[in-house]
Amino acid sequence: MQRISQSTAMRHKFIILFSFFFCVGCGATEVPEPQPKPVASYSLCNANATAETQQLWSLLCSQYGKNALSGVVANIDWNAREAENVYQWTGHYPAINVFDFINIHASKDVNKNGWLDYSDMTPVEEWHQAGGIVGCMWHWQVKANNGTNYTCSPGVEPGQTSFDPAKVNDPSSAEYKQMIHDIDQVAGYLKKMQKRGIAVLWRPLHEASGNTSEFAGGGAWFWWGAKGAEAYKALWRFMYDRMVNYHKLNNLIWIWNSQMNDYDWYPGDDVVDIVGRDNYYALQYPLAKEFKALQEQFPNKLITLAECGNGDEVEMSLWSDIWSEGSRWSWFMTWYDYNYNAGTSDEHQFAGEAWWKDAFNSGVVLDRDEVKGLMRR
Amino acid sequence: MKRNKYILFLLAFLALPCGEGCGGVLLATERTILLGPKTIGKAWKDNIVLEARHFKDVQPGDVLTVYNDRAKGTAQGAFQNPQTWQGVAPEYGYFGINGPFRMTMTEDILRIARTHGIAIGGHDYRILRVTVSDSADYRETIVWNGPAVVMKSDWSASAEIEGRCFATLQEGDGLRLHVSKVQEGAAAKLMDFTWNALDPSVDGMPVGENGITWYIHDRAPLLKLQLAGTGSNTAMRVGGKGYRLDQIGIVQFVGEVSEDLSSAQRAPKEYTLQPGELFHGEKYFPADWSGNLTINAAPFQKCTENDVLLISYRLDPAAKAAGVTPQLSLRNTRTWGELTGAAEPVWYPLDGNDVVYLFDAVALDAVKTRGFILTGVGFTLTKIELISAQ
Repeated sequence: MQRISQSTAMRHKFIILFSFFFCVGCGATEVPEPQPKPVASYSLCNANATAETQQLWSLLCSQYGKNALSGVVANIDWNAREAENVYQWTGHYPAINVFDFINIHASKDVNKNGWLDYSDMTPVEEWHQAGGIVGCMWHWQVKANNGTNYTCSPGVEPGQTSFDPAKVNDPSSAEYKQMIHDIDQVAGYLKKMQKRGIAVLWRPLHEASGNTSEFAGGGAWFWWGAKGAEAYKALWRFMYDRMVNYHKLNNLIWIWNSQMNDYDWYPGDDVVDIVGRDNYYALQYPLAKEFKALQEQFPNKLITLAECGNGDEVEMSLWSDIWSEGSRWSWFMTWYDYNYNAGTSDEHQFAGEAWWKDAFNSGVVLDRDEVKGLMRR
Repeated sequence: MKRNKYILFLLAFLALPCGEGCGGVLLATERTILLGPKTIGKAWKDNIVLEARHFKDVQPGDVLTVYNDRAKGTAQGAFQNPQTWQGVAPEYGYFGINGPFRMTMTEDILRIARTHGIAIGGHDYRILRVTVSDSADYRETIVWNGPAVVMKSDWSASAEIEGRCFATLQEGDGLRLHVSKVQEGAAAKLMDFTWNALDPSVDGMPVGENGITWYIHDRAPLLKLQLAGTGSNTAMRVGGKGYRLDQIGIVQFVGEVSEDLSSAQRAPKEYTLQPGELFHGEKYFPADWSGNLTINAAPFQKCTENDVLLISYRLDPAAKAAGVTPQLSLRNTRTWGELTGAAEPVWYPLDGNDVVYLFDAVALDAVKTRGFILTGVGFTLTKIELISAQ
């Protein structure tokens, strides 16, 4: 229960009265589409956010409902390969490039036999200096049950992991120590970004509920969701505390991923800035329904299409159709196609040339140059 | 005349060793059991079931071959049990496709095939023809005899195969990996000497108890193998996990191909969908209720309540004779409940006339959100059209 001050209560009365007159004037025959709230209604949950982070936040808020920012994920981990595809197809770079900490165990700064180096900030810096917005996500892999492989998949098979997220409450456990180790390693990379003045759209622990809440027999497809909502929320808050309060990471905008019907997995307004949805049945009508449902559930949060692309069953609707159906996602991020990037497939599996051309021709999608101008870098 | 005598003499001379070597029996023939084309589209939605009758005389060791075209780089094939839709053996649940793909029959697989038939599935290719050939049609020469290499679970082990082993390898031949100690999830990777996969289809291909045979259908992998020369240089590396590599053989087809199609099964005729058509072809809905067809939500995105579905079909005389009442029903793809949300499914009896389905608000929302499933008994579906009121 929240207390409301007298002046706030007065303001509410005024708004109600005003709304009444407004509705009478309209005749109130049509229910208006839910529109995003004014910019001032949203705020970052970290009061110590850096100036660059606040600037990025202001940009997101100012464009919300008017334009969508374009985004892609890296080709697996630490590059802008997919952004280059989009540039080749359209002559535009997407506004956002999202890097994935999926292979931190193979980073050369912690593994002499590693095949990539997250401590080398070159890919991130180059993207940032070109005017792009940096995003990071984390397919948090841990040792599989066979003791050699790394995986996110929960289960008892040799190639899966029985890593228990509920052990976040047990500081004496091996899992707890591993979590601290991994979070600290990733925090080190994010700190390097902070030192370089780079704000980050940070989306950890995504798709946690899997299809647990969607149908009977559904389950989590990542270990961080394997022990249910309470363990997951505790892990989220643990990570938030470790990164923000312990490591003083003030360059992060925290994005929580909602799956279907999983509102009880929401970690809380005080530790989440943006609510995302991943969708690979990305047709305009169901997307609009999902956007509106999220907006009603999280009225104080920006809503974003954190992952999208063609799915097994359908091809994603064109962005012009998605927008015209009423979706007002803050940004979208299309997924990578390893085979396309390796030259073994001629057709991009998730979002190809035609889709991207339509997006930039829709008049409501911002590219990297446009956000660079808006950020006045 | 003198020359003719010489040719006859030569023919007789050539025939003798063959007659003895083959036990005086003509070489076996590869015979067609299914004639396509049958498109296996996206998302594992399509399949075709080879009828059980084809396997009556098939023996363990015989080979089923699926000739195909239009395979995308990411195409996968599968041999499945039509009852369970699981792979007929773990290594046949899914595999990459590059050219014709094959399955060597075992007692276990034949048991399924003779009872239920075998479904060929996967995604992103088109079946042209399916054949069965006797094991005698294939001659194998062991070219590598070890020492055996155990492929550990971390993919760290590999076997180095010298170039001379592939001196006789030709396009169309197969490389057979003889394996043992196969664990669950075993997979193999066949690489050139630079550690790159010889082909995407052999980059982690599933390994079963009977090993694997990879047929080479184009020059590219051959060239990669031959780059190392034919001497003692390493030409191929075999890696993977969860099995022991014991031997490698080169398999060559030495049989004949029969053009007799008299007992071949024919794939249903394929149609190119015209605007407004959601389905056009032949889909049988037998009396055992196993028939269903899913239409996704994409065609309905701009539908209105005034649009209608027109469903065309042919009644199945056999079902009628067996006392089955032909009927169909439209269901929600998530819940399998009635499309309109009603507690009990609505059944549309089929009398030979097309079914016209009018959307109400609930059904319209359902199809625009997730499409629908058509289920029923006693008919062959021929067409579904979406007719726009616009």
